[in-house]
Amino acid sequence: MPSTPPEESAREGLFSFLSRRRFLKAGVVAGGAILGVGGGGLLALRGHAPSVKGLRALDAHEYRTLQSLVEAMLPKTDAVPIDPASMDLPRAFDAFLADEPKHNVEDLQKALVLIEFGPLVFEGRLTTFSRLAPAERAEHWRAWALSDNLLRRQVSIAMRKFLNLVYFDHQEVWPYIGYPGPSMMRSTAR
Amino acid sequence: MSGSIIDLSRQAPPDRIAAEVCIIGSGCGGGTAARLLAEAGHEVVVLEEGRDVIGAERTQRDGAMYDQLYMDRGGRATHDLSVSVLQGRVLGGGGVINASDVVPAPEGVLRHWAAKFGLEDFAPERFQVFQEAALDDLSASRIPEELVNLANDKLRQGATALGLRGEVMRHNRVGCRGLGTCLIGCPVHAKRSPRMVALPHAIRAGARIYTRTRAVKIDKASEELKEIKVRVLDPGGYHEHAELTVRARIVIVAANAIASAQLLLRSGVGNDHVGRNLTLQPQLPIIGIFDERIAAFDGVPQSYAVTEFEEEDNAEYGLWGYRIEGIMGTPGIVSTLLPLSGAEGMRAMAQYDRMAASLLLVPDAPSGQVQVARSGRLTIRYAQRRDHQERLRHAVENAAKIYLEAGAKEVLVPTLPPLTIRTAGDARRARELGFEPATAPLISAHQQGTVRFAAHERDGGADLDGRVYGTRDVYVFDSSGFPTSASSHTMTPIIAASRMLTSKLLTRTQDADSPAAHPRMYAARPSSSQRPPRRPEAPMIESFQGALGLACVTRAGHSSSTWMDCVGHIMHASRTLSSRSGGMA
Repeated sequence: MPSTPPEESAREGLFSFLSRRRFLKAGVVAGGAILGVGGGGLLALRGHAPSVKGLRALDAHEYRTLQSLVEAMLPKTDAVPIDPASMDLPRAFDAFLADEPKHNVEDLQKALVLIEFGPLVFEGRLTTFSRLAPAERAEHWRAWALSDNLLRRQVSIAMRKFLNLVYFDHQEVWPYIGYPGPSMMRSTAR
Repeated sequence: MSGSIIDLSRQAPPDRIAAEVCIIGSGCGGGTAARLLAEAGHEVVVLEEGRDVIGAERTQRDGAMYDQLYMDRGGRATHDLSVSVLQGRVLGGGGVINASDVVPAPEGVLRHWAAKFGLEDFAPERFQVFQEAALDDLSASRIPEELVNLANDKLRQGATALGLRGEVMRHNRVGCRGLGTCLIGCPVHAKRSPRMVALPHAIRAGARIYTRTRAVKIDKASEELKEIKVRVLDPGGYHEHAELTVRARIVIVAANAIASAQLLLRSGVGNDHVGRNLTLQPQLPIIGIFDERIAAFDGVPQSYAVTEFEEEDNAEYGLWGYRIEGIMGTPGIVSTLLPLSGAEGMRAMAQYDRMAASLLLVPDAPSGQVQVARSGRLTIRYAQRRDHQERLRHAVENAAKIYLEAGAKEVLVPTLPPLTIRTAGDARRARELGFEPATAPLISAHQQGTVRFAAHERDGGADLDGRVYGTRDVYVFDSSGFPTSASSHTMTPIIAASRMLTSKLLTRTQDADSPAAHPRMYAARPSSSQRPPRRPEAPMIESFQGALGLACVTRAGHSSSTWMDCVGHIMHASRTLSSRSGGMA
């Protein structure tokens, strides 16, 4: 039988143990938050999301969470003075999801719920991600990437993989990062 | 008789296809085998999950190209999202989306394989002829000086000033115009990839190549006539919409070390070694930021390598140490590798044209596993070993010193939290990097080892002919068979190995009308009491790792169920309440 090097067996076991503790602890916090707030409270916290036509995979609440996330991740700055709302990245995300296997869609939807209720679950605040002020939201999202919690880091990575890739593929961003565009496009333009 | 490329997503597929040989995968391993077998007069069918993306369709744009040229639309990753697993899904396979580096397996590695694993055919004196043939297939040459861009030259300048050994690399481009987007397909086909060399030869010799076909199961693997269950995908490659069966006497699996093992596991084929011993060669990007414009996106992205720290004949592991190689990508993919979002992320990307980046290529010992759950979902488990982390820290420290020596104002190590190095003294801080899971953008471009070649069934998943133990003429002709890292870049060793294994197969089949006439080809199988127990058959539900890798979020470990159960409860409660309140919530 093939065997794993002893060092690695131990290491993996150690990580499993730490992860379990971490997740259990977070689970208790989350469970406590849910119990404390109750179903009706969750509903009130989440509030109303304006309807969005033509979505294939997301609902209006998920779309709104993504809009808020895009504002936090890819803000209009002096360095890149582009309003990300002009790109409607949540709709691109919706189109992407529509062609994904069901289990991936469900996973991503769970991640969006976790993000929306992140302030409650991780910080014990009676508010949601979309309700945070822009500066608070940016700081809250930054904490996901730097968190000791593996799950939060994973959600952060996954969202960055998609949203960053699509955002920086937009032509209007390129002048601000010094990218003259695909070389074939340049040679055609000449 | 001339063959053809048939895109089954755009026509009514047949119920059945028959051939003497069915090859699964059209990359370096599969394409080479298809060519040699077809040219020898065998009836060959190739199945490729991707489609033929050529010419103007190679748009040099991140979104469309990662979607169409990479497995899981570029989102494949290990179970904990610690390592992005890059794998081609296009006609021509990984050869279409790699950095075109030609690095044959070093003699030290080949000697190591022969001595430690009994792979006598890989001994340098025997394997050399196949490596030379591979170099010929690739039109290998040294990258000309005019194609070494400023970013790679900065790496060279720094290394030279510090007295570190390095070299301008060899490549497989002919007529390169330095368009810079090798990693998302060359629009002028300068790469001598399988798409441009092996497959056209195979087609001329009569091979039929079916694209947008996903092999999901091999049935009757121990019988003379095998049946491969195939799902036909839609034109975008997203959904399965039809099914057919390919019947063949010989099946060659060459779908990369992840997908080859996945197919065998789903089929319940092979012994307990299948899926184990995975090496990923995780690489870490590091970025030198200069005051001057570097424009690394123009020219050959990877042309210079610092080889000072590489060991080619480590007694325990073969290839060891590490190398530092220049690299650059298009804006979208680069932005995904930067550590932070928000204003910090925007500030970092605003320096895109002043970046000179490297990949720290650190070979690893086998420590991963490909698994397929009963549901059919693929999981790539990988534990980064402490010795790998230690060499990675050394590599970061030395790469940072090189860029600073070359004049970088700072060096960004894209870990969480990010590490910015501004002086040679600062570089020591690399020794404190923890490399906890999902805290560094590790990338795997060279997966190997999941169906290890071995002289004895107890030691590996396939024999020295590449035949999967416990089967009759089901073979693996790709990097799945490599027992350890073959090289810092696997294209050349895979082509050479496929040439060698196909040559052996042809030797066994020559002078006969039917391969069944050859006793060596149908070597006696071990009795059922000698064979390891078969795995239970996995359900034929298609499995993706997850286009964003987010599939892994719920599988970060069994321990995460508590977490995600909570999220599930929140979703359920919210939806129930929404419906009760007439959708006003």
